Amino acid sequence: MSTPSKDPLLQVETTCGSLLYELQIIWDEVGESDVERDKMLLDLERECLEVYRRKVDSANRSRAQLRQAIADSEAELAAICSAMGERPVHIRQSDQNPGSLKAELRTLLPELEEMKRRKSERRNQFLEVLEQIQKIQIEIYATSLKTVLDETDLSLRKLEELHVQLQALEKEKSDRLKQVLDHMNTLNSLCLVLGMDFKQTIHDINPSLAETKGSKSISNDVIGRLAAAIERFREVKMQRMQRIQNLATSLLELWNLMDTPVEEQQMFQSVTCNIAASEQEIMEPNLLAVEFINYVEAEVSRLEDLKSSKMKELVFKKRSELEDICRKTRLLPESDNSMDIAIEAIESGALNPASLLEQIELQIGKVKEEAFSRKEILEKVEKWMAACEEECWLEEYNRDDNRYNAGKGAHLTLKRAEKARALVTKLPGIVDALAAKTIAWENERGTEFTYDGIRLLSMLEEYKILRQEKEEERIRQRDQKKLQGQLIAEQEALFGSKPSPMKQQSGKKGPRMSCGGASNRRLSLGGAMHAPKADPHSIRATPNTRQTKKNERQLNKREDGFAALSAGRRGLDIAGLAASRKHSLSEVEPSQPIFRKPFSPISSTESSKSLLEDFNRKHEMLQKTFQTSSNSTPFITPSKITLSATEDENRTPKTNMIPLVPSTPSTVSVPMQTVATPAPLDCLNQIKETVPEEIIEYSFEERRAGFVLPIAHLKTIIAI
Amino acid sequence: MAAVPPVRGRELSNPPSDGISNLRFSHHSDHLLVSSWDKSVRLYDASENILRGEFIHGGAVLDCCFHDDNSGFSASADNTVRRLVFNYEREDVLGRHDAPVRCIEYSYATGQVITGSWDKTLKCWDPRGASAQERALVGTYAQPERVYSLSLVGNRLVVATAGRHVNVYDLRNMSQPEQRRESSLKYQTRCVRCYPNGTGIAPELLHQNHFCSPGYALSSVEGRVAMEFFDLSEAGQSKNYGTFATGGCDGFVNVWDGNNKKRLYQYTKYPTSIAALSFSRDGRLLAVASSYTFEEGDKPHEPDAIFVRSVNEVEVKPKPKVYPNPAT
Repeated sequence: MSTPSKDPLLQVETTCGSLLYELQIIWDEVGESDVERDKMLLDLERECLEVYRRKVDSANRSRAQLRQAIADSEAELAAICSAMGERPVHIRQSDQNPGSLKAELRTLLPELEEMKRRKSERRNQFLEVLEQIQKIQIEIYATSLKTVLDETDLSLRKLEELHVQLQALEKEKSDRLKQVLDHMNTLNSLCLVLGMDFKQTIHDINPSLAETKGSKSISNDVIGRLAAAIERFREVKMQRMQRIQNLATSLLELWNLMDTPVEEQQMFQSVTCNIAASEQEIMEPNLLAVEFINYVEAEVSRLEDLKSSKMKELVFKKRSELEDICRKTRLLPESDNSMDIAIEAIESGALNPASLLEQIELQIGKVKEEAFSRKEILEKVEKWMAACEEECWLEEYNRDDNRYNAGKGAHLTLKRAEKARALVTKLPGIVDALAAKTIAWENERGTEFTYDGIRLLSMLEEYKILRQEKEEERIRQRDQKKLQGQLIAEQEALFGSKPSPMKQQSGKKGPRMSCGGASNRRLSLGGAMHAPKADPHSIRATPNTRQTKKNERQLNKREDGFAALSAGRRGLDIAGLAASRKHSLSEVEPSQPIFRKPFSPISSTESSKSLLEDFNRKHEMLQKTFQTSSNSTPFITPSKITLSATEDENRTPKTNMIPLVPSTPSTVSVPMQTVATPAPLDCLNQIKETVPEEIIEYSFEERRAGFVLPIAHLKTIIAI
Repeated sequence: MAAVPPVRGRELSNPPSDGISNLRFSHHSDHLLVSSWDKSVRLYDASENILRGEFIHGGAVLDCCFHDDNSGFSASADNTVRRLVFNYEREDVLGRHDAPVRCIEYSYATGQVITGSWDKTLKCWDPRGASAQERALVGTYAQPERVYSLSLVGNRLVVATAGRHVNVYDLRNMSQPEQRRESSLKYQTRCVRCYPNGTGIAPELLHQNHFCSPGYALSSVEGRVAMEFFDLSEAGQSKNYGTFATGGCDGFVNVWDGNNKKRLYQYTKYPTSIAALSFSRDGRLLAVASSYTFEEGDKPHEPDAIFVRSVNEVEVKPKPKVYPNPAT
């Protein structure tokens, strides 16, 4: 048939031409009509056209698809680029290179692939960061706001932002971790100081904290609870610290008070060394543990107990010391009552024993000082009393009819009697000297010299009166004896026998010798001294008795030193006074027998006595009023003068006030009292009314500072 | 500085504006604590000539002393006793008397501050209790008269009061004086200073070296100085009294040889009365407060000044005279 062509189209054309030819041949053979033939050919043409149209359509469609694909790819690419924040490169390419659609698509596809790959990479990066952020957020806030990845924005900038956010979160996390650790450290030290179990404490707050490994929870909640725990512990610590510091203060006070040995203190050194420490400074483990505080508290209460018992003991001791001194110096201690009250007050806690102790200490000091000043006179008093004792003994002895019997120890008794006689002759001198000294002392101090609460001067007066009485008695007896002698002589002359005069006498004499038994009892009452209040008038004579002696001995032992020191100016003063006194006394002495002997039967003295007593009473009143109003005006001086004038004969023994029975003039010198007594009072008034600065010295600094002693001080100075 | 004659020593800048009541060198450095009637306490660095700190009180300050190098105490005419902390310029009131506080000492032996006042009492304070006043007070001890001067050595405390009383206490038993004495001088006591126990700690106003027998020196307003001894029997035998310095209202500072009762040296006259003296810890420096002490009442006077001069060995060393047993 036809030659085969290489071109299929040519082949097809040839095939079509040959087929048409074949058809013409067939038609020719069939003899188809031309109409039929044309129709057939038209059909053929139409069918061919149809086929062409179909093909063109499909080609057209595929072209459109291809365009669509390209457009899609381009769009995708653009979307990715925009999401990734990059400039789409391919657009320019497509402009420059129109090429065929397929070629275009071909170039586009790898690009797209590449971009897709990059995008997924970027996306992974984002996811990773987001995941981390989320993780940290959950750690910190417990919940996370589930951040969803925004696919449309995968730009580097956004990534950067996320990284920054992540870093911020990480920083916060580390901060929080640090905070938690800090809190735990603080808590640990607090627990240590407070003696609490740290592990248990943090386990209660959050179990994760207690684990040594693994992450610790850093959530707000945990931090809050830690902070709260710290706050709570700190409060507890403050409270305990307050408590322990209070305890430490009491400890120190108690130690100080009781001189607690250092070894005992050592155990609590850790407590006391922190007495002034602030809250942060107290770091020592278990210092604030409950057990430790209780331990310290127990110690304090132990010391408290010890103190109260010791204090009482101390107060008693001091008190007895005070009483002892008082007893030895013949001063009356304050009533024991006040002591009982004080003890009660201590027990009830109303009074601070320390202050009481101090008070007693002060009193002791005062009494000691006073004792020192009284020393000299007291010694003389003791001497006097010893002499009195000897006198009494001598009297007894003289009454003993058998005293010259030679017996065992008779020579000793004789010797004693000899000594006693010598002593008795000195007695008036002793008494006078003592009285003079006492008056000087009283004038110097402006107070009475009391001996076991009784004024020494009145004791001396009493003694003198007694002596006077005795003297009278003796004279009377001598007269009687003489009379009796006469009587006996007469009787003898009448009846011959002569009875022993001694025997007759002894019956009468006994009770009369007042100095012996009766007065002695009185005296011993005085010597017993501790309850002298009952009847002061009955006890004024000389106390002798053993007790006195004992006291004297103790006193001597104790105050030997004092005596040596006492010399000084005062001694001189007294000596001077005594001398002048003596002079005045000698003037008065001669009149003595006239008004002495108040109990003697002589009527003239009787009357003078009552007169005198009357005067004394008045005088006393005067004195009292003067005393009470002593700071008013110096009216005293004139009254003194009148006194001395009227009294020349009566001689009130003292400026003082006890209504004295008239006494030996020798003790009481009238001129003395008129001069001496007003002097200090006058001076006192002067000081009060005139400028005190002239008397008180001031240092340059005091003058510069304008410092002036308050009046109260002045008074005390003068009183002293 | 050039204007001041070098013989007087260097004058400190920024002196107090009113009379100087006392000055003291620290025992640890060349710091100088100065109290004044201008209500101030000042801390100087004497070697650097710098005012390091200043405290202002409610009243004139009559005395001051160091605690350690960082703190000190002051006694004020407003009746208070204060503790001063130099680093923080902080001050606590340790407590108060009933009248102006005249003198103050710190005892290293007992760790207590001792103050004497015109209210006729002595008080001991524990500075550790500074936060609460009732804690700080250790004890109050009545004196026969207004306290004028105090001095300490070891556990001994000598208190000089008006009326020429001198009480010697043992700090370990303050309940009563160990000795009650009367000044051997005729007039009002101005100042008392204990002889150091050979430690060389230099007290002010009177400074001694080489004292062997325990005792004290006493000065009166009349200008005389007496040396007294705690143990009376010792006074006769003891030969080594050493040397000490005195300053008077005549403006002279004298150094004396107590052994021979001779003056060793007299410094150039200062412009006005010598209110206080202090030797530094090593005795190389002498601080002299030249300040009118009101002895003639209120009158115009030279400005108050502090001089710091160096001390030559020659000026204070006793002349090598024949002693039976020379000073060691």
